[in-house]
Amino acid sequence: MRQGSRLRLVLRDLGSGFAFASMAVSGQLPVWTLALYGVSLVCALAGWRLFARRAKLTALLLLIAAVVLGMNVLAGGLNLVVAACAFAGLISAHRLLSSPEGATDGQVHLSGLLMVAGGAALSGELVYGLFLVVFSLLSSLSLALGVVEAAVPEGEPVPTREVMRPLAKGLGFAVAGAVAFFILFPRLNWNMMGPRSSPGLGAATAGFSNTVRLGGAGTIKGNPRIVLRSTLSPDPRKENLDAYWLGRTYDVFDGQEWTNAGKPRSPMLMVTLRPGGENLIHQRVELLPAYGARTAVALETPARLGNALAHTQTGSRRIGLQRLGGGELRFADAATSYSYEAYSLPPGGGGDTLDSLPPEEQDALLALPENLDARIAQTAARVLNGEREPLAAAQKLAAWLQREHQYTLELSGDVADPLADFLFVRKAGHCEHFATALTLMLRTQGLRARLATGFFGGERVADGYIVRAGDAHAWTHVLVPGRGFVTVDATPPSHRSSQSSVVLQRMIAFYEVVEARWRSAVVDYSFRDQLDFARTLVRPPRSRSGEATPSRLPPLRAWAAAVVAGLVAYGAWRGLARFLARERPHEATRFVDAVEAQLASARLEREEGETLEDLDARLAREGHPLSAALSPITRRYLEARFGGRPLLQGEATTLLATLKRAIAEDARRSAAEARPPRARRAS
Amino acid sequence: VKPRRKQWWAWLRARLRPPRTLKVTRIGRTYLVVTFGVGLGALNTGNNLLYLLLGLLLSMVVVSGVLSERCIRDVSVRRVGTDAAFASEPFAFRWAISKKRGHGFALTLGEADSPLTGEGGVGYLPAGVDHVVRADLTAPARGPVLLTGVRVTTTWPLGLFAKTRVFPMEGTLLVYPRRGYACQDPGEAERGPVGDAGNPRRNDGTGDVSGLRELMQGEDARRIHWRKSAALGKLLRVEREREERRTWVLAVDAGLEGDALERRCEEVAALAHRLIEEGHEVGLSTADGRVRPAAGSAQERRVLRALAWLGHEGPREEEEAA
Repeated sequence: MRQGSRLRLVLRDLGSGFAFASMAVSGQLPVWTLALYGVSLVCALAGWRLFARRAKLTALLLLIAAVVLGMNVLAGGLNLVVAACAFAGLISAHRLLSSPEGATDGQVHLSGLLMVAGGAALSGELVYGLFLVVFSLLSSLSLALGVVEAAVPEGEPVPTREVMRPLAKGLGFAVAGAVAFFILFPRLNWNMMGPRSSPGLGAATAGFSNTVRLGGAGTIKGNPRIVLRSTLSPDPRKENLDAYWLGRTYDVFDGQEWTNAGKPRSPMLMVTLRPGGENLIHQRVELLPAYGARTAVALETPARLGNALAHTQTGSRRIGLQRLGGGELRFADAATSYSYEAYSLPPGGGGDTLDSLPPEEQDALLALPENLDARIAQTAARVLNGEREPLAAAQKLAAWLQREHQYTLELSGDVADPLADFLFVRKAGHCEHFATALTLMLRTQGLRARLATGFFGGERVADGYIVRAGDAHAWTHVLVPGRGFVTVDATPPSHRSSQSSVVLQRMIAFYEVVEARWRSAVVDYSFRDQLDFARTLVRPPRSRSGEATPSRLPPLRAWAAAVVAGLVAYGAWRGLARFLARERPHEATRFVDAVEAQLASARLEREEGETLEDLDARLAREGHPLSAALSPITRRYLEARFGGRPLLQGEATTLLATLKRAIAEDARRSAAEARPPRARRAS
Repeated sequence: VKPRRKQWWAWLRARLRPPRTLKVTRIGRTYLVVTFGVGLGALNTGNNLLYLLLGLLLSMVVVSGVLSERCIRDVSVRRVGTDAAFASEPFAFRWAISKKRGHGFALTLGEADSPLTGEGGVGYLPAGVDHVVRADLTAPARGPVLLTGVRVTTTWPLGLFAKTRVFPMEGTLLVYPRRGYACQDPGEAERGPVGDAGNPRRNDGTGDVSGLRELMQGEDARRIHWRKSAALGKLLRVEREREERRTWVLAVDAGLEGDALERRCEEVAALAHRLIEEGHEVGLSTADGRVRPAAGSAQERRVLRALAWLGHEGPREEEEAA
């Protein structure tokens, strides 16, 4: 193998790997295709071309893979686009393991191109952009090295270093050109169907289910993945929102788990939970694929939810919300992710009254499990010490729970009475234990309360807030007359939000910031953004001193853009002018060409090296009938060509017409002479 | 005077011939098809990532054009030529290429619009360096080959397009007859063995003694070295430096044409080569003229040139631009 080939092949294989990764980040490719491609890539990088000798025979493997993928598509288990992308990856894997020839190289690069195109269709992830650039870089380097290698004579070294610098410059310009094209190319399609969401890698972990069972593992608190994004209006502009995002409430506890007493209703596009006021907080919420549940979430206390869109791989569609028991709103259909709008009341109670609740929920607010440990009521009474006001009692109990009990995610597993175990044995638990204990202790004292689940937190990222899977939380709603349900949280404040690694959280937050930029600048870029971009170029600058009348002149960047556009136009005009003013054949030369063409039609052969004046002289010597017509033309040609008297407008046409007439006359005369006279033939 | 149609065709060709020609390579064709598909997908779906990919693909096309243009701009080429070109066999042909500014990559050189096949290449051409490119060219037939220009092609940087620039450079390459074996006997020598004195009766070569060998059947007994033969007990003859130089005048008959002429030229060339290698004098007689008998490689070249021009018209001086 020639020096440099090894590097070229490694670059080629790595480029293909990144192209495949741009599809794989969508998390939709079948696992077996990931495994096959991974093995192929490792073998190729190690230089093991396993299919080099039996390329055609091993192509049968591709046929088998195509059949398997096709059957999956027909069975409805696989999207057609996903299957096509997976097959492109397998083709690339096969080519990676084949003999490294020129044709194989081309096939690897082109299958890589197909893969990045497939990745664009499957995924809107930020890393896709990264993989796209890396693929372009590596593949271009590999292609360039291949081109140079082909031109280098056998035995000479390939100038690898010399290639890199100009190529890197070129790639830089290519990326800049791509960005310029992306920004400036008019979006002709208003119905944007960008890859809204893909399942991504890793299982979804929302923690929402129909019941809440005490004694779970509690590992969700350590999960830093982002499950929810939201923009708020009015924007509180706080770094940490520390707000409760309500998913649903539970009111029936059987000693082990919480359930609901409510009944489901039919789905609606807009659901009003309670009357709103003037100070509603508007939220534009996006539930990400990591969420993995169908329960809508909104800031406490939600008043109205609607305008929901379900995002799947095939596109986005409007979707209804079905109201269930416990105030839960569930999306009518399953999808990868959802987006919707919600309005919530400001903190301080929802204004609910007991009568506004369904009868079964009213009864459940004081219900206790049959075998509730008697020590719970005794303890509650002792702690309250006669306090009967619901909110004050709840806060007193919450303070006692926080003081006397420890927060832990290490649980002892399933026990017969998890609540008594939490309160009197282990004296440690997680948020569900604290919330359950507070709720039931209140109920033992005749105070109405229920368990609420959702998320607690909200980190500011870009212009919105994010919520992590680890922010999943449970707390207590206490019914306060005149105010409705008021949130009281018995969990120690330091353990309410995510418990995952700080470094990991920061990394994910940073990624989210970059990805937010990616989404707004690339994935969701639209014709409106293009108009905004154009407007920002020509919009007058804002007065820094806050003057009432800002300058009406465009800003400096507009002038700069105008200058650049002017220079480009000037360059184009100069280029066009040069093209039009380029040296053309002399007018007289074209004239003499036309003369020669006419003479050719009269079968006048010019001898080798004979000029037009020589021909004219020869015809004059021979007494040729065309000599009379050709002489003035020859003289005029010589004057035009060498005498500084160019042909006038239309003069060439006139002279040529004269010659044409003379030729026609000569032809007629010749024909007449060749034909015997009729009279003579008749005699 | 040419017919009007030919004039028009020549005019059209001159108009349509740009200073650079661009040819899409095989991988480039597929690249363009994929780009077109991505463009359709972007317009149909409005997927911004496809727009981004489309922008990158199109930018690569533009960058490819710019880099290839920079690659073949400021290039100058001259022919170095070849020592000898024989028909139907590769011969080494050289060009000298240099670049005033910038670097050149993946440059391939060949003769434009000529029947010569083969190309030479240079992977990297730094600025200001006179680089000699060697190529093994092959000419299909004997005779003068008109060279109109040198074609410089590059597929730099991605191999998607082959951009070609032709440097007009007229010249003629004289291709000698195909080399082969002489199947026929050269016939009787025009003049018998002669030495330096040119005496036809002397038959024992001239010059210093170069060795002894056993006398073969039919050889002249006067060449026997009697003293050495007596010492060794067998007949030995003297060999001299210039052994029995004879003179042949090979002829190509006037009426030959086509394949017969080609075969005869090849036969004569092979015979001349063999006889001159043996130290004889060879002359040539053709319908176009006569080459006086002489010996040596220069004479062989003269014979080959005369054979190469046989049946072709044109100037016979300065024929070898190469």
